[in-house]
Amino acid sequence: MAVRTIEVRERVMARNDEIADQVRERLLAARVPALNLMSSPGAGKTLLLERTLTDLGGELVLSVITGDVQTQNDADRLARHTDRLVQAVVTAGACHLDARQILTALDAIDLAATDLLFIENVGNLVCPASWDLGESAKIVLFSVTEGEDKPVKYPKMFQEARTVVFTKLDLLPYVPFRVDRAIDFCRQVNPDLHYLTTSSLVAQGLEEWYAFLWAQARSSKRAG
Amino acid sequence: MHELGLALEVCRMAEERLGTNALASVRAVGVEVGDDAGIEVGNFQFCLETLLREPPFDGARPVILRQPGPVLRLAYLEVDDGRPDN
Repeated sequence: MAVRTIEVRERVMARNDEIADQVRERLLAARVPALNLMSSPGAGKTLLLERTLTDLGGELVLSVITGDVQTQNDADRLARHTDRLVQAVVTAGACHLDARQILTALDAIDLAATDLLFIENVGNLVCPASWDLGESAKIVLFSVTEGEDKPVKYPKMFQEARTVVFTKLDLLPYVPFRVDRAIDFCRQVNPDLHYLTTSSLVAQGLEEWYAFLWAQARSSKRAG
Repeated sequence: MHELGLALEVCRMAEERLGTNALASVRAVGVEVGDDAGIEVGNFQFCLETLLREPPFDGARPVILRQPGPVLRLAYLEVDDGRPDN
């Protein structure tokens, strides 16, 4: 029998990236910046968003897509802080969101009436870094209960990100974590990162976070 | 889980290229995996083996081609097209 070899040489992520471009075009047309929040499980993504929806929701129209392996608990929590629809994506085993899920979720969101879109990714420092969702920027949340050397252990996540938000600063007196050492590790993998320090629990550093979000929203409107 | 998702994507690409009915004739699937691709190669190979063993495939063999850098690419499909050798 004749065995023939068919050359393909196509990137495995090519289809995801095509769909991510479609997401980007829709967001650009609607002038909506989309922030992809990523972290290890339990770093405080949902609590930061709860605070943000409560404090900024009266001034900016915020939409949220949440991703979880199972349950829509995060979406239910966030829905208590906004009258907007919070779109839950249950990945049913997958450890990250992909662009196709975001494109589908956008169908349920009124982009014309949205100032800023948050994508709360699945808690995982590995896989989400590899999947382009068509977002404007990737943001890593880094809690002080983690090791300072997370950036060098999970370099791709910190290389892909534009901003690092340190969380749970209220716990600093009780944990052996130094923010300056963590930033040194961040700089080893990405010298261009921008840093914010927060505690959602005691509302520390949130004004800087909100100023950052306002800047995102304003620059998007100007770009359009 | 990440590796399984990527292995499924490789199978989808093969199907897109050949059509579902031709997948049983695939003998080998060559995938280039970069050292910085963020992939656990043993796990990825296991996922591919599992998927390629079952219909619509019929026991195709995954061939992992290690590369430097972040590459992850379906390199080739080896197909037995049923025609006699010349």
